[in-house]
Parts: sequence; C-alpha cells; structure tokens
Amino acid sequence: MATVLVNGQEVEIGASERLNCIQAAAKVGVEIPAYCWHPELSVVASCRMCLVEVGDKKPDGTVAMQPKLVPGCQTPAKDGTVIISDSPKVKEARKATLEYLLLNHPLDCPTCDQAGECYLQDYSFNYGRGYSRLNEPKNIKPDKTNIGDQITLFTDRCIMCTRCVRFTREISGSAELQVVSRGSHEEIDIFPGFPVNNPLAGNVVDLCPVGALCSKDFLYQQRVWWLKSASSVCPGCSTGCSITVDQNEERVYRLHPRPNEKAQGHFMCDAGRFGWKYTHSDQRLMSPETRTNGHVTPTDFDTVLNSVRAALIKAAQGGKGKIAAVLSPWMTVEEAYLLSSFLKGLATDVTLAIGPVRIEGHDDQFPKDIKGNVVAPVKFTIRAEKCPNRAGVEAVVTHFTGEVMPFEELLRLASGSQFKAVYLVGGDPEGWMTDIQAEAFSKVETVIVQDILPSPVLKHATHVLPSGTFVEREGVFVNHNGLAQLIHRSVRGPDGTRPDGRLLWDLAQRPGLIQTEALRKEIAGAIPALAAIASPELKGQGVLLEAAVAATV
Amino acid sequence: MSALSEEIREQIRQEFPKYPNKRAVTLPALHIVHDAMRAVSTDAIIGIAELLELHPAEVHDTMSFYNFFKDEKHALGNHRIWVCRSISCMLRGGEEVLEKVCNKFHVHPGQTSADGKVTLEFAECLGACEGAPCILVDDECHMDMNAESVSALIEKL
Amino acid sequence: MAKFEPVLFARINKPDSTSLTTYKADGGYARIKEFLSMAPGDVTNLVKDSGLRGRGGAGFPCGLKWTFLPKDHPGPIYLCINADESEPGTFNNRILMEKDPHQLIEGIIIACHAIRSRNAYLYLRYEYGRSYRVLDAAIKECYAAGLLGKNILGSGVNLDIVLHRGAGAYICGEETGLIESLEGKRAWPRIKPPFPAIEGLFRQPTIVNNVETLCCVTQILYRGGAWFKSIGVPPDPSNPRDPGSYGPKLYCISGHVNKPCCVELPLGATARELIEEHAGGVWKGRKAKAVVPGGISMGFLSDKELDTKLDFAGPGKVGCLGLGTAAVVVIDDQTSMVDVLFNCCRFMSHESCGQCTPCREGTAWMTKILTRIRIGQGRIEDLDLLMEVAGSMGIMPGTTICGLSDGAAWPVKNAISKFRGDFEEYIISKRATETSAQKLMEVH
Repeated sequence: MATVLVNGQEVEIGASERLNCIQAAAKVGVEIPAYCWHPELSVVASCRMCLVEVGDKKPDGTVAMQPKLVPGCQTPAKDGTVIISDSPKVKEARKATLEYLLLNHPLDCPTCDQAGECYLQDYSFNYGRGYSRLNEPKNIKPDKTNIGDQITLFTDRCIMCTRCVRFTREISGSAELQVVSRGSHEEIDIFPGFPVNNPLAGNVVDLCPVGALCSKDFLYQQRVWWLKSASSVCPGCSTGCSITVDQNEERVYRLHPRPNEKAQGHFMCDAGRFGWKYTHSDQRLMSPETRTNGHVTPTDFDTVLNSVRAALIKAAQGGKGKIAAVLSPWMTVEEAYLLSSFLKGLATDVTLAIGPVRIEGHDDQFPKDIKGNVVAPVKFTIRAEKCPNRAGVEAVVTHFTGEVMPFEELLRLASGSQFKAVYLVGGDPEGWMTDIQAEAFSKVETVIVQDILPSPVLKHATHVLPSGTFVEREGVFVNHNGLAQLIHRSVRGPDGTRPDGRLLWDLAQRPGLIQTEALRKEIAGAIPALAAIASPELKGQGVLLEAAVAATV
Repeated sequence: MSALSEEIREQIRQEFPKYPNKRAVTLPALHIVHDAMRAVSTDAIIGIAELLELHPAEVHDTMSFYNFFKDEKHALGNHRIWVCRSISCMLRGGEEVLEKVCNKFHVHPGQTSADGKVTLEFAECLGACEGAPCILVDDECHMDMNAESVSALIEKL
Repeated sequence: MAKFEPVLFARINKPDSTSLTTYKADGGYARIKEFLSMAPGDVTNLVKDSGLRGRGGAGFPCGLKWTFLPKDHPGPIYLCINADESEPGTFNNRILMEKDPHQLIEGIIIACHAIRSRNAYLYLRYEYGRSYRVLDAAIKECYAAGLLGKNILGSGVNLDIVLHRGAGAYICGEETGLIESLEGKRAWPRIKPPFPAIEGLFRQPTIVNNVETLCCVTQILYRGGAWFKSIGVPPDPSNPRDPGSYGPKLYCISGHVNKPCCVELPLGATARELIEEHAGGVWKGRKAKAVVPGGISMGFLSDKELDTKLDFAGPGKVGCLGLGTAAVVVIDDQTSMVDVLFNCCRFMSHESCGQCTPCREGTAWMTKILTRIRIGQGRIEDLDLLMEVAGSMGIMPGTTICGLSDGAAWPVKNAISKFRGDFEEYIISKRATETSAQKLMEVH
C-alpha cells in the first residue's frame, strides 16, 4: 500500500495500481483539470492544464517540493508523493493556460453543441481569470464538414489536445486524423479522400473536450441540459458496452459510452451508437391484437393477455409436450425468468428454445495496422454475436429445462405439428425469421408473438403483443465475459406497446407492479449460476457471474 | 497506379537500409519527390505512404509541419530564392531586399513569378550572418546581397 | 592580449581544407586507431574530466551525459549529431562543416566508440547545402579509406554515418524534436522523462551532441583533457555547482559591426572584446545600444553590460538566459528595441511547434501585441502584459515541454526591463515603424 498526500489529505494507492497525480487526486474527490490526458490514450502532457506542484515526503517527515510545476498526468503517484493543486502558483498557472486557450477560441457558446458539457466552459468557470485581456484579432480557421459521414469539425474551436488524432492512431489504428501546419495556425484535418468512417469513428466526438468535433446526427438537436440520462447497455453485440441514453420528452437523442473497465473500457462502436433509431420507427408494432383466420382484432393488453393465458392453459391440458416458447437473446434475465417460470408452471414438460443468435462475420478487434492486421494489445472488440444476452437467457432456460434447444431444432418440431401453442419472443431490430422459417408455425393452433417490429411470423400469429426496445425496459444483460449489467428505462414506448417485463409479470398474474429488484433476489436464490445478480455491485459497473473471471475488452 | 515514377520509387527504396523502419524515410522521400516534381501532390503523398507502409494522413501530417514542402496548388518555379528575415539580416536591410525583389518580380513572398522562373520566399536565419543580408538560391547560399545583386542574380538564372 | 591560436579553426583557411589528404597532413586520424583500442569507458572519463560542456546552447557536461546511457545495453545505441543550427545569429557550425568536415567526423568516430554506438545520424538543416555536399564527400572519402563502415582500420569497431537533411524548422534543434523529426514525424519535442539516453531515437538509448562539441572531443583526445582545462574560466569557488567554462569557443559576431565574423577564443571573452578587437567596432561610427550574447533566445545585454564574461555563468549574472550558442549580435544606438523585439517574437511564434498551450498561444500573442504597438496602437499596459505572458511560459517555471518558450520569453523580459524607456516613449508617441516589407510577410 502506498500513501500519497493530496492537498494535505492522505490517499491510499493499492499495490497493483499505477496511478498518475490526476487519478490519485480523484480518489479523494480533488479535481485536477486536464484536456489532453485520457486513461486509454498515450500521455502527451501538451495541454498543460493539469500542472501541479509535486514533492516527496521523506521517511523522516520532511517534504521536498520540486521547484517547478509538473503535469499531473505524466507524474506517477508513488509512496510519499506530495501533490499540491490549490497553491497560488497552481491557480495562477491554470488562469494562464485558460487565458491562452481562449485567445483564439471563438465565442460560439450560444450556438455550440458542447455547451453544458464543455471542459473549456467548466474549467474557465472554476479556474479561469474571468475576463479577457485580448486586444488582437483572432485566428480564423475554416470549418470542415466532411471529416466523416458522422463527423463535422468546427476548426477554430479546437484547443489542440490531439485526443482525436491519438484515438485514430492508437485505438482504431486507422490514422485518418492529422494535425496540419505548425504553431498557432495548426488545424485538425483528414487527408482528402480518407474520411473518418471507421467502425469506431463516433468516439472522437466524445473525446473532444470542446465543441470542435461534433456529431452530425446530434448537431443542433438538443441542449444537453434538457436531456435526461439513464444508464444502460448497448444491445448490439455481446461486448455489452456500458452506455448512457439521453432523452428529452420521451425521445432518445443520443447514446454515448459510459466508462467501465469491467465491460468495454471507454468507447463504443458506431453501429451501437447510432443503431437505436428503430425505437422511434413508425413501423413499431403498436396495437395488441388477436387474429383469427386472418381476421385482425385490435384490442387492449388485459383482454389479449387473458386470451393468451387461456389458450396456453388449454394447450397444456391437452396432453404432453404441447407448449413451447422461443426466448430471444434480446430478453433480459428477468423477462426470460418470468416467461420460463410461468410456462413451466403450466406444463413441466414445456419446450424452451433460444431465439436465433445472429452471428455476423468474426469478432472485429482494434487497433489494426496498415495491412488490416490486429495489433496487440487489443483495445476494443466489436463482437460477431449480435445480441446482448444470450448468456443470461441460456442460464435461465438451462435451469428450467436442463438444456437449451437451438432455434432450428424448435422450428423442426413446430413444423411437425408437435405443439398446440408456441410463445415467440422477438426483439431483434434486424429481424429474426425468414418467410420459410416462419412457415414452421403455420399449422400451430396458437401462435403468440411478442415483438417490437413486424416480421414474417406475424402472418401466422394468433396473438400479437407489442413489446419494448431496450431503452424502454429495465433488467439484466449478461455479456460475452459473464458480466451482468443493468439496463434502465429511459423512455416510455409508444402507446399500444408494453415493456416486456411488465407484460410478462401481468401474464403470470403476479400481484401489483413488477419489482425487478425483488425479482432478481428470487432469481438469484433459484438459479445458482445467476446468484451474483442480487449483489449490490450490479448497480455500479456490473458484476461478473463468476468472480474468478478477469475483465476483458 | 502511382503518381511516382519507378525512378523516384527506386530512389526512395534506396533509403530504406539506412534506417531501422520505413517511417524514418518520410523526410528523405518528401525531399526526393519535391526536388523532382517541384511539389508533393496529393497523389504523390498516397504513393509515398504506400511505399512506406503508412497512412496518407501520417505522411501529410509530417509534410505540413515544415513550410518547406509545396502542395500541387503552389508548385515551385524553376528556382527557389529565400531571403533571410531574421535578426542579423534584418539589422542590415534584409527585409527591404525581399520587398524590393518581390516588387520587381510582381510576387508576394511565397509566390512564383508569372513566367514560372522563380519562387521568392522569406527564410528564418540561414546561418550566414557574417554576410548579412544573405539569400539561398536553391542549394547555394549567397552573402552580402542587396536588392540589385539579387535581381541581377535572378536575371542570370 | 595574446592572440589565441585557433585549434578548432586551425585548418579552415588552408587550401583544399575539406579533403582527407589535407586533414591527414595536419595530423588528423593519426591516432584514431589508438583511440579505438581504448576502453569506451576510458574515452568517456577523458572527456568527462576535460570539463567539456555542450556547445549547442544548454551547456550540459558532455562526458557526464554519456554516462547516463544504460550500462551493458545490448544496443543499438545511437549518436545523433545536431547540425540543425538555426538560432538567429549563429553560424559557427556551418563554418566547421563547410571547411573542416573531417575534424567533426573524427569526433563522431571517437564519440560513437565511447558510447558503443554503431549508427550515427547527422541531422543537417536543409539550408546548409554546401555543408551537405562537403560532408557527403568527406564521409565517402572515409568509407573508401576504411575509416567508416565495418572494422575501422582493423580495430573491430563498426560505424555507419547517415546524413539526414531537415526541412527548415528551428525546433528540430531541440534534441527530442530532432529525434521525432528523424523518425519521420512532426518535430514535436517529447515529454521528459524518459530522457534520450534511456529512450531516444527509435526508442533506443541515444546521445545527441552538437557539432562544435564533437569537434572539441577530437581535440581533447589528441591534446588531452589538461590542455582543454588550461583554456577558459575555472569554476567560481563560491559556487560548488559550477563546472567551469573550459576550452575554446567559436564566437559569432554579426549585426551592426564593421566586420561580422566568427572567431575562436578561450571561453570568457567579453562582448566588448569581440566587437572592438575582432569585428572592427560598431559600424558607421555608432555606439552599441544592445548586444545579443548568445543567439536571440538568451535576451539582450545593455550597453553597460558589454564587459560581461561570455562564459556559461556570465550572461546569467546580468539577467540573460545563458551563454546559448555564443552568437553575438550587435544593435546600434539608432535602432529601436521595439523593432528588434518584434523580429525576435515573430521568429519564435513562427517556429513554435504548437504542441503545448503556453508556447503555441503565448508566442503568437506576444507577436500580435508587438505588431499592434508598431502600428501606433500600443498602450502602456501592454508592457506589463508582455512581461507577465513572458514570465508564465517556459521549462523554468515548468509550464512548457521544451525550452523554446524560455527562448521566446527572455528577449521580451530583457528588452522591456532593460530598455523600458524605449518602449514607453514609442507607445506614448504613437510611433508606427511597421515596414511595408513586414506587412508583406505577415502570415495570417
């Protein structure tokens, strides 16, 4: 254990922790402002915002302070390190650095996307001089709208922290961004014809501390102080990036990654970042229905759920092995448990299958070199398994039926008219069944479809239950590495939809409103493999189902 | 299909054994191309990047740091004349030499004369202060210059 | 004063001075085989004990720097020869390379043996075309004569020298800026630690030495450390940290003098000696108002400070940054310090690499303020603002990555504090001396 002093306060640093002064100070809630430093990028110490006074406390108690300021980001915090960040010297240096940064910075706050989450604003407010002494013309640089398909650059807002350039060189490896020219005329740019369109491109907008690099998707859409945030998990693949969903007035405006070293690190891919638009699609299923002989009857949830329940009970009483369900790998653990336990209660020989697990290509690892080969150490992976919770759903199903039937097997059984009633849960925005696969259900008497968007199986459905997207639900997703994380409801779904958890709670006629926390306790008690989801750790960075497993990106 | 001739590519390749990696050949490669083609075009940068196994942005990043290299829109004339503007030359009239010569050939510093003969630029200290004002003509330094001797030299090129 | 017999400049006026034949005829390379059979550590100790301090501007003890290399490193270890000489007013390395390349090459061979380097990169500023041609020819002569390449003169020592041309950037003279430029990147100096001796060129242990320093190495090996120590200024007895200022120094004198030149003298010459005894006095019968002591980065001596010893300790005693490159530039009493300072600030903002905030923005700001002053729109408050901006930047307060900012700040600090009257009078009278030439050169 090492002891570091931060402004007189003692901080304990663990034996295996390698922290710089910024990180050591953060442990006791002391902010050392910084632009260019980022935990996942190389240290360049060029912004000079994090300058602090550093010294050494000797065993005899005397403190020897270094005569010069040093950047906190490049100074390791070791046993005996003394960090002073509130001295007049440090305060004066911060005022000077901020004054310098504002010399050529345009006063764009009223129209700049970054306002409200801008490091320059925040640090100027907290540490700046408060007035300008500039009497000279500012450098003006042209905006560049074609940095990438999703990225636009307001060049003169840039403070040259080079986080974006380092991201494209060290994380994605695609090296599209560069600095051109020298001195105060420097600008960020691409090489003509080589825009920033790599699969991780959107991260440079997050990384930009000011409003220089902006997302074309989000540009001028919302003021950040109108947005309400909820933490969630991207459902796009089994990496399960921790994210934050920002919405206003029940409309989602953007997703961005939430740092989580147990999950993915600090980034997310563009497919996930921009892949939520379907949640506001006008193609959403928005009316519970019963369908008889092609005749569609819109109805309400209470009515259709009663009908579904009755049909299932009748089918179960009609003989052995008459009911089956397909549980989508897009369901949460709680939803899978509610459905499985309800059906198991109706028929102990219920067949439970997992919905199609969409695999696309191979795991895509970054960074890559110029030839496209992966460079170790891997900093980010977009996984080929394009669903958020196969592991969690399989754990639930295995508990109830001892095995997980693959989707193709269930199709085979269904087309052989084995089942009287099947309960199908979709949820994959890219679709989950072809027409041919859907034919397998053409002769099943009761086909219950719980889904978000239309699919070929609807033409065989007898009951349609419009359900929710991941931004409308709460529950646990388990990623490729066994990390269980919570998604939270961010927006209400359209009228005529019901989030899956509530829908299944009502189907099972459990009393009152769904209480996911109590439900998780129940699941943890019932399923040893999922015991960890009752841990309070779940609410933070998530909890590994098997404690011995190491976190991986 | 590269903008670089096989001869240029071979000249660049001959630099490889001198360094432990290809990135270090960036500056020599830029010089080779720039000398031969009087500019480094976008296509040439892509060609250099391919040879050196770098991304074009990485090559251009380095290139743009030095005011030295011209892009295809600002290609050099047949000859390049730099007039020093640093302290010792300024003290002995160097800046006025540049101005007079620019006016005579109707160019601003950095521009090429209409007949494509000379590109006139200012330079920072050329390290010939014992002969201030001094100029650099392509690769040769000339000391103790004035506006007349510079103009005469240019006329003779 | 007895005339100092040049050692570094002993051959520069000889006919055909650049050839191997001339160098050998003068005794050059005569003992190189003997030097290469010394233990590398012995060569280092010899250089260390001679008291040689780097001539590139920092004045760091040369032999001591060599000892910072990791012991028993498997290699490769690199020597970079800093021939990027770009400090305004400085041209001594140019003369050494153009006129006596073999003295430098022999110094490189000796240094590489001491630090166990098999690969030397000579980073030469592009503008030194003649030096390039001369060095290229001299290096080829050496390879042909078995003085470079494999198994030099049968000694078992290998050495290759690569001539690498720059592209016109002052910051490539900063040792890690040089390294980054050599590696093919923009010349953004690196943060330290790690220092180049531990992690330098291509991430290997590297020593960067100045041209004149390496020429001194040659002479030290031939004439001995005691000889070197017999020249110059011994340490100040009241300062235990002073390593002294030993050896000959090439002093450049330019600007408003009758005979700008470069002269070799023992360290410790004064500006007055240089001007009056070697440069023919101030021109046009005028007096000196201000003198740059060691390249513009070092600031200015006032006319009352012309007897300051120009050794490593002297300029600091009168508020200058240091000896720097020992390049003296004389400014006569009919020149405005405002114009001179503008020239210095414009140079620094043009050459700032742009990596760290205070230098990138601060040097440009100072230049803009001086531009405004010189079009007659200055204010008295501008002077205190300039002093404050200059005081906040540099490696001395710790606010920047490299010393360019210190070199940008010092002329401002010295000019305004030593010549404040000039500035105040200029501002109050709303004088405007921006020339049309300067307008023409403005980079926006």
